[in-house]
Order: sequence, then C-alpha cells, then structure tokens
Amino acid sequence: MAQDAAVQYEPVAEIGGGAYGTVYKARDRQSGQFVALKSVRVQTDQDGLPLSTVREVALLKRLEQFDHPNVVKLMDVCATLRTDHETKVTLVFEHVDQDLKTYLDKAPSPGLPASQIQDLMQQLMCGLAFLHSNCIIHRDLKPENILVTSRGQVKLADFGLARIYSCHMALTPVVVTLWYRAPEVLLQSTYATPVDIWSTGCIFAEMFRRKPLFCGESEVDQLGKIFEVIGLPTEEDWPTDVTLSQRNFSPFSNRPITDFVPEISHQGADLLLEMLTFDPLRRISALNALDHLYFQEG
Amino acid sequence: MTQNGFCDSRPLLDLHKKTEERRAPLRAWANTRGPKERRSLAESEESRGAHCKTTPESRWARRMPVSAEDGIIMGYAEQNGSKDGREEEALLQCLHGLPGTYSWDIFSDMLRTQSHYTFPSTELPSPFTDSTRAIMVDWLIQVHVMFNFSEETLYLTVHLLNRAMRQIKVSINNLQLLGIVCLFLAGKKEECLLPEISELCYLMDNNYSKRQLLRMERRVLCELDFELSHCPPLHFLLLTASIAHCSDKMVWMARYLLELSLLENQCVVFQPVQLARAALCLARVVLQEAHSPESETAWCIATSLHICSEPTLQRIMHILAVTASTAHARETRASFVKFSTAKTLHISSHPGLQSAPHLLGPGGAQARPQAREGALKGMRAGETGQYMRTHT
Ligand SMILES: Nc1ncnc2c1ncn2[C@@H]1O[C@H](COP(=O)(O)OP(=O)(O)O)[C@@H](O)[C@H]1O
Ligand SMILES: [Mg+2]
Repeated sequence: MAQDAAVQYEPVAEIGGGAYGTVYKARDRQSGQFVALKSVRVQTDQDGLPLSTVREVALLKRLEQFDHPNVVKLMDVCATLRTDHETKVTLVFEHVDQDLKTYLDKAPSPGLPASQIQDLMQQLMCGLAFLHSNCIIHRDLKPENILVTSRGQVKLADFGLARIYSCHMALTPVVVTLWYRAPEVLLQSTYATPVDIWSTGCIFAEMFRRKPLFCGESEVDQLGKIFEVIGLPTEEDWPTDVTLSQRNFSPFSNRPITDFVPEISHQGADLLLEMLTFDPLRRISALNALDHLYFQEG
Repeated sequence: MTQNGFCDSRPLLDLHKKTEERRAPLRAWANTRGPKERRSLAESEESRGAHCKTTPESRWARRMPVSAEDGIIMGYAEQNGSKDGREEEALLQCLHGLPGTYSWDIFSDMLRTQSHYTFPSTELPSPFTDSTRAIMVDWLIQVHVMFNFSEETLYLTVHLLNRAMRQIKVSINNLQLLGIVCLFLAGKKEECLLPEISELCYLMDNNYSKRQLLRMERRVLCELDFELSHCPPLHFLLLTASIAHCSDKMVWMARYLLELSLLENQCVVFQPVQLARAALCLARVVLQEAHSPESETAWCIATSLHICSEPTLQRIMHILAVTASTAHARETRASFVKFSTAKTLHISSHPGLQSAPHLLGPGGAQARPQAREGALKGMRAGETGQYMRTHT
C-alpha cells in the first residue's frame, strides 16, 4: 500500500463534491496515468473511518479479482497520518471521463440515440448482474454514481453510502435524493437486490426523458408520483410489514407508460414496466433483463 | 435482517425465507450463467485458472470456478455419475427453487471463496496462547450480545481477530484493544447502529484512550490491507438447515455448537462450510430426534454436497463435542449463557451435551479442549481485560 497519496499523485482538477469530501482528478507522477482520488479525513476525536469508506473499500477489494468491465476499479488505498490528530485515507480509482448525469446533460438535442441508450442499458445490466451474483446490493444507483468513459463504457461507482442512508434515514437529516428509491424502501419494508433494478428502471426512463421520472419531495410524495405512473397496487400486493396503508393513496387511472416516456420502443416499454414492477419478487432480475427482447432490437 | 446484509451472502438467506410464501418456477440451467452476461467473468476465470482442472461433463465443475487447492469441487466432480447424483440434483433443485435468481451464484461464490477464510496452521505468535485467545473471544461474545449485534458481526469479528493476531505485533497488554477494534470494524461493515467510541473505552475500564483506539483501528485496517470480507459459517448452517427442514431445536443446537467453535483455536484450519456441516451433524447426534422417511430424504439432499473427508468431519465434531460437554464449567462461558435463554430453547443446558463425546464413539478422546489455568477460574465479564493486562 502506498503511504502518501500527496507524493505519488499530483492533483489536476476538482471533480465533484461528495458527502465525505471532494473527489479530485490527479496524475500518477510515475506512470502519467490519470486517477480519481476520493479522500476522507479522519479526526481522532471522531468515530474513526466512516462506515461508508469501510464498506466501499472492503467491497471493491473483494470484487477486484474479477476485473469486471462495468465496475469502477479501485487501484489503491493510502492512509496518511497528517498530524497527530488527523489521518487521511485516500481511495485511488481509475479516472473515468464523466458521470452519467453529465453525459446526459452534454448530449446534443434531441438526446441520446436509441441505439446508444440500448448499449448503456445493457452495460448497466451486466454490471448489476455481476454485483447481484456476488451478493452485493448497490442501493444508491443514480446518474451521479454511474460513470461513463468517453468511449461510452459504463462503470458503476460509489459503493457504500446507500446502506447508511437507508438505515439512518429517520436518524440523520442527510439530504439525499429520493427519486431513484424503490417503493419497498420508501415503505420501509424488507428489501434486497430488486431495489437496484428499480433505480435502473428510473434511469432507463431518464435516458429518454433527459429529466428524472419521479421527482418526489418526501417519501409519501415520491410514492404518490410512482403510483401516478405505474398505477396503485392492489390491497393484496401491498406489503404487510409496513405502517403506511394503501388507502392513503388515491387510485390513479392507469395511463400508458409511453405518456411519460414518449420515445421508447415497444420492447423498451415492456422492459421498463418489468423493472418498475411494484412487487419486488415479481420485478425482473438483472440476468433475466439481459435476455429481454429489447436487447435484441437492432 | 435484510437491512444488515451488504456484501455478503445474506441475500441468499433472505430470499430463502420467502420460499414458503411464493415459489418461483425452477430456472432452467442454461439461464443461470448465460454466456453473454458472463463473458467478462468467464474470461477472468480462465486466465486465473490455467491450472484448474475442469471436467466438461460435470455441471458443478464447470459452473464453479475453483482452483485445484479448494478441493471442494474436485472431490465433487469425481462423484459425478455415481448414483448419489440424484441427491445432488435435488440439492440443485432446492437452490434453484429459491425465488431469487442468484441463489445458485451466491452459493457457488460462497463455496469458491472458502479457502480464503482458513489459516494454514493453528500456531499463534507468542505470547498468545489458545487460552488467551479463548478468553478474548469469550469477552467479545459478551460485548456483541450487549450491543445486540448480529451473529454475522460476531463471526466477522473473530475472523478479523484471527488474522490480526497473526499479522500485527501487539503486546498482550494491547490484545483487548485489538479485539475491540476488530469488533468495531466488523460492526462498521455489518451493523446499522454503532456504539460510541467512548462506550467501547468504558467497557475496557478506560484503560485505553479514544485516540489509542482510533490509532489501532488505522493500524488494523492498514495491516489487513482493508480486506474485511468473510463468509460466515452461519450462512451455510442456515441454508443447509432450511433445505433439510431441520427442527427449531436442531437449528439452535447447531448454532450453539458452531458458536463454540469460535473459542477453539484448533478450528481456524477448517473451512466455514466444514464447521457448519460438523455443527449440524453433531446436533443431530446429540438430539437424537426421531426422523420420518421424508426428513431423512431432506437431510440427505441437504448434505449431499461433498465438502470434506469423513475423518475431517469427525475431527471437528469431536472438538465441538468436547467443548460443549464442558462448556457449563468453564471460565469462557459467554456462549453457554447466551444459549441458555428461553428464546434459544435453553439449548446449552440440553442433557445430551454432557455425553456428546461418548456418543461419537472411539476417537473422541483425541481432541481435548485446551487446558485452562486454574488462575482463570471464576472470572467474570469485565475482569477479562484486567486479566489480560496483569497476568503477563
Ligand atoms: N473514478 C472516477 N472518475 C471520475 N469521476 C469520478 C470518479 N469517482 C467519482 N467521480 C465523480 O465524483 C462524484 C462523487 O463521487 P462518489 O464516489 O459518488 O462520492 P460520494 O459518495 O461522495 O457521492 C461522482 O458523482 C462523480 O461525478
Ligand atoms: Mg455519489
């Protein structure tokens, strides 16, 4: 393990402000290669290394051996003792040109061509299928956490924050977007890998719309917006382990999904609905999604 | 439970819990690992496994990328074609009957990574002995109960401790600090709610400062290269038990026996899956429950996967049997107390445990629990740390 990130890497530019610190683009002084540095400062009067970092590193370390093309590569972890009171832990990632949010924003009007959306989706699903078969639930999939190289290669990033948010939602007033959250998470029911499929479904729609599909302002508002599109689930489909009742929501007429995502093809709309299925057990899995006819369209 | 699992095998168990409610159709074999989506994975497997013997006719060998030293699938592939094949097929069906698409992948991943979680020898660097280690683990079990941590956290804690004790040079005075840091890190990976560091310091009679604790955390993370993965044997136990339709009593008994294995340094050389199997087999011997033909069949299916040789299994069972038969009278009795409650069906006081080593027949005498010094008699929680610091 390299001991001092400051010696080995020369900062080039600031990329993004994260929850625990800024992400920098930097150059490896030896190889000249670009990297992304995500640092966390740990004060000795705090709680040590944040949970998110512990999880992100532990998990990416475990996945390292597979060298999957659709998961961001963690190249190194550096821990530096800055002062007696402060340790800096730096995660060194391969540098990727932009995140999906920027990629979508940059796309010239009228947006991404259908074939490109199909390609991005297929890569997203490959990455997701890989995570899910390795027992990993990402839980925080959104355009900002998906990276895209200039050649259009998708890489999933930012592992580790999601779970903290989901568990401490009621405890910490962290502002985190609700827009990609699955109904079972919003309802605080039990959840597993299908939550990622939901988020990916939202992102799928967003690639066509170039704006988010469900922009709720609170958990309940978010659910309302979801039911407006997918229809109100029946009483039998409603989970039994939640406090919020189905009757709190007014029944919406079932409008076709193409009202909300106009450009989508017939097969695309079918896959999207499979991904935005209310019941997580009936929601399509990443592996099955890859076999969907949508990906055979040419 | 679901909310805890992050990058471990728990989703498998969560999904499995729901089997009764909703049975998904069996997935066709061909779908499990479609060539398209697995392209990249398969490539890396091939490059890694140049020495890996794959038998094209054997589904298991093909589906599970293993290196030869794992032994698991190698042994398995040899059995293919024998008439046991039908039970193996049934086990597969059980795994595929789970309503998650990934059950099989998760299970094979769990098997494949087994050997990462064992140690080549039981040797501990001086001045540590099996006995100091057992006292440490026992104290950690008490703390984990106190914080209401999950069992996964406990198994990860002890795994980290096993690695840290071997890799990091600490004096016996700092062993307790090392132990609590392992628990703290395991908690960070597995739990939603964590104790304050000051609480942890308080538990150690404020013998260490907050800053010392955080420095140790940094040291452990660096020395262990930030690797905090584990494959808790408990997952194999619960998975096997649910396929075998074991009774609650049997599951609690096996869980108790499995937890006792944490105290025994001799057990670090065995794979999690082997420990889990041994705990279940021993629980069956101890409880002597009546079995219907159906439950016999379910048991055969659940245990059809060859995971180790019979002598190895017997050895682990003997170690656990001896430990369990003396558990009530030991200083390290946190698990005994933990499993004596009504919720756990008072399983640790089950009369069958006393005679467990004899039930296994000859050979039981080979495995002895480590002798513990008389000086430790009567020690309670909280005093452990003090002992660590004064008796050196
Ligand atoms: N490897 C990388 N290459 C390029 N940009 C990155 C990389 N990793 C992260 N980023 C950018 O930094 C932002 C924040 O990083 P992220 O890992 O999501 O941290 P946080 O947990 O703080 O959200 C991302 O949204 C992305 O725009
Ligand atoms: Mg992010």
